[in-house]
Amino acid sequence: MDVTDISTITPLELISLEEPPATKEGAIEFLLDLAVDAGRVDDRDAALDALLEREEDATTGVGFGIGIPHAKTDAVSKPTVAFARSTEGIDFDAMDDKPAKLLFMILVPAAGGEDHLQILSALSRSLMHEDVREKLLEAESKQTVQDVLAEVVE
Amino acid sequence: MERTVTVVPEDGLHARPASLFVETANEFDADVQLGRADEDDLVPAASMLAVTGLGVGHDESVRLVAEGDDAEAALDALEDILSTPEAKQ
Repeated sequence: MDVTDISTITPLELISLEEPPATKEGAIEFLLDLAVDAGRVDDRDAALDALLEREEDATTGVGFGIGIPHAKTDAVSKPTVAFARSTEGIDFDAMDDKPAKLLFMILVPAAGGEDHLQILSALSRSLMHEDVREKLLEAESKQTVQDVLAEVVE
Repeated sequence: MERTVTVVPEDGLHARPASLFVETANEFDADVQLGRADEDDLVPAASMLAVTGLGVGHDESVRLVAEGDDAEAALDALEDILSTPEAKQ
């Protein structure tokens, strides 16, 4: 599978412009439910366990107002990235103490090899650019968010 | 000063080792930069986002460049982290 095909990884239904819950765990469940509602998760509990286990290992609050919860799990059968954003920001235990406003959840099949790290690093590299963060914070439609993400992973 | 180090943890510079690496880079009075050994680009070692963006895997080599009063101590500590297999539970 081509992991750089954004319409497959992040179809519009995996993008939310609604306000997620204000807690880290609540926000992770919110992102997960986007994927569940899109029919991409076979086992919600298993996926949630994998995501929370990863957070326990080390936070995915990477700073710059970004949280990227991620996991490899057989609860999904294809690479899946969900997006949401928080107006006030969420405490994601980031080292720079900045609340996370841009949230990405990456789920890839357990057999997906290095797919999740590839997506994670491509996303992280692009998010180091302030203009990319600004575009995502200001996007007024799901389509705009998807377009920005498409540039990111190309 | 600089040195090249091979990344030993199984998952590469990711999750706990990455977190520990960035925390450690922040502890010293030194400006530390990091890049893939085969590339010229360097990113700040004190930024989790930047380190995650490098996506360095197990057995890959990275170049550490440090400047400042604690440069050598910082490199020693960071090399130590990169050279330590992650404890499995």
